[in-house]
Amino acid sequence: MTAAPAPGNAAAALEVRGLVKRFGQFVALDGVDLRVAPREVRAVIGPNGAGKTTLINVLGGQLVADRGTVEVHGRRLGRQHPHQVAKLGVGRTFQISSTFRRMTVLDNMLYAHHAGGGRWFGLDAARLRRLREPAIAGLETIGLTHCADQVVDDVSHGDRKRLEFGMVLATRPTLLLLDEPTAGMGLGERQELIELVLSVARERGLTLVFVEHDIDAVFRAAESITVMALGRVFAEGTPDEIAGNAEVQEIYLGGRR
Amino acid sequence: MAAEHRRGNASWSIDWRLVAATFVLVAIALHLSPPLVAFAIIEVMIFALYASALNLLLSYSGMVSFGHAVYFGLGAYGLAITIAKFGWPMWAGVVAGPLVSAFFGLVYGALCVQLTAIYAAMLTLACAEITFAIVFQWFDFTGGDSGISGHVPAMMGLSPAWFGMVVLVVVTICILALWRVVHAPLGLTIRAVGENPVRAAAMGHGRKRVQLAAFVISAFLSGVAGTLYGIFHGNVFPEYVGVLFTIDGLVMVLLGGLYSFGAGIYGAIVYKLLDNVMAHYFEYWQLVIGVILVLVVLVSPAGIAGLVSTVAARLRGRAG
Repeated sequence: MTAAPAPGNAAAALEVRGLVKRFGQFVALDGVDLRVAPREVRAVIGPNGAGKTTLINVLGGQLVADRGTVEVHGRRLGRQHPHQVAKLGVGRTFQISSTFRRMTVLDNMLYAHHAGGGRWFGLDAARLRRLREPAIAGLETIGLTHCADQVVDDVSHGDRKRLEFGMVLATRPTLLLLDEPTAGMGLGERQELIELVLSVARERGLTLVFVEHDIDAVFRAAESITVMALGRVFAEGTPDEIAGNAEVQEIYLGGRR
Repeated sequence: MAAEHRRGNASWSIDWRLVAATFVLVAIALHLSPPLVAFAIIEVMIFALYASALNLLLSYSGMVSFGHAVYFGLGAYGLAITIAKFGWPMWAGVVAGPLVSAFFGLVYGALCVQLTAIYAAMLTLACAEITFAIVFQWFDFTGGDSGISGHVPAMMGLSPAWFGMVVLVVVTICILALWRVVHAPLGLTIRAVGENPVRAAAMGHGRKRVQLAAFVISAFLSGVAGTLYGIFHGNVFPEYVGVLFTIDGLVMVLLGGLYSFGAGIYGAIVYKLLDNVMAHYFEYWQLVIGVILVLVVLVSPAGIAGLVSTVAARLRGRAG
């Protein structure tokens, strides 16, 4: 089950080789290779349909790849279900924020801390009461104490995005996958969230892989950038290298104007 | 900070004054009422438990059961068969009833959680139809269409008032236990998985075993209700596992109001009240229930529970 990590790969937080995913005739991932070092902040960009979200879904276990391998901290992911992937320390957010909309913001966070404890059963209500304090602290981290008692359905889109991020943090992941963390947010909100994500990632030593359409945010936040197009990795490098890459300019950055 | 979150806190703990007041009121009503009214109260209590058990699935676990009468009825069959066919004493039958229901909840539930949404619901229906067919036709073991009777004296030979007290105690304990489950770590997991299985999975909680746990708990409590019902009438018939009892439960929960703990209780009270009162005056009283249900779904999906909480909030606002 656990294949011995290949020599020289033990250091990678995420190692992807030859990943292929097809939907019928459509090839969403066409042999993707990706290597992310521990504590690295990696952005994945590319035009719509490049396969970015499919990649995140395969990494999170929501989709099963047709071919290729994924290793997280040297541990090979096979056909694990999403909850098993989560237990390996992979946390993720979704393009459209995924929270519990009938529960209050605080109960969402309470659940996240409960889930972070690893157990799903138990009848001891006192255990939940003990989680209130860390849950409220978690809300403080993401700046959501003002709407703690509001039902998630009633809070703003941006607050839901924040909440989802905070909930994922509560499960103490080592590898964080964020699928468009700032999609649909206002400009100011976006900057705040990106800064929050970066400061938390740095503070906790997380490895961060994020898909983002906001190019300004990408170049400000990322240490390295992977450019995808048509299901392949098109280019990879530091922000300066990517900014200076004429082909990238043409297919992606230029294409946006 | 503590004061800020008081409202959230209050909804999580049991309001013992409310429980005690309800308990005392029902006890007094049982003793002051003529037998016919006491019978109605007993029936309401039993169905309040059954509908509350079903509500665990509908409101919290994200499942729909189109065959929940199976777990209700098998409680009564477990009781009857243990006593009448195996010749065991009554207490063994009382223990066996809910356990038989829980066992079938485990088996059928394990099948049903392999699917989701309407497909899972259809499978619950299929399991129920199979069970009904077996119960209906296996004459030697289940008594077939004539059921089993005479294995226990109706109401254990007690007066309606005192049998009502037994039911009141059992139902109160079971509903309090259900409250504990819903508001314990397990219940939080059930609610999370039920509302958003994709998010819960990404947090490390797989859907299937959590939903199975909810299914077994619901089947067990339905079985307690069915066992009580079997003792109440001193008999058991295939109808107890049949589709009409399933629909009764579903209507009660919808009437009571989805996504609220009290749905089964409110629904059982109103439905049985209409059943007992209107059936005397109007042959097609279920038509009225149908119309009311359509109105609830269209006008107030939160059902009676929504109405109650609105009124309670109003009153509290006036008091405070």
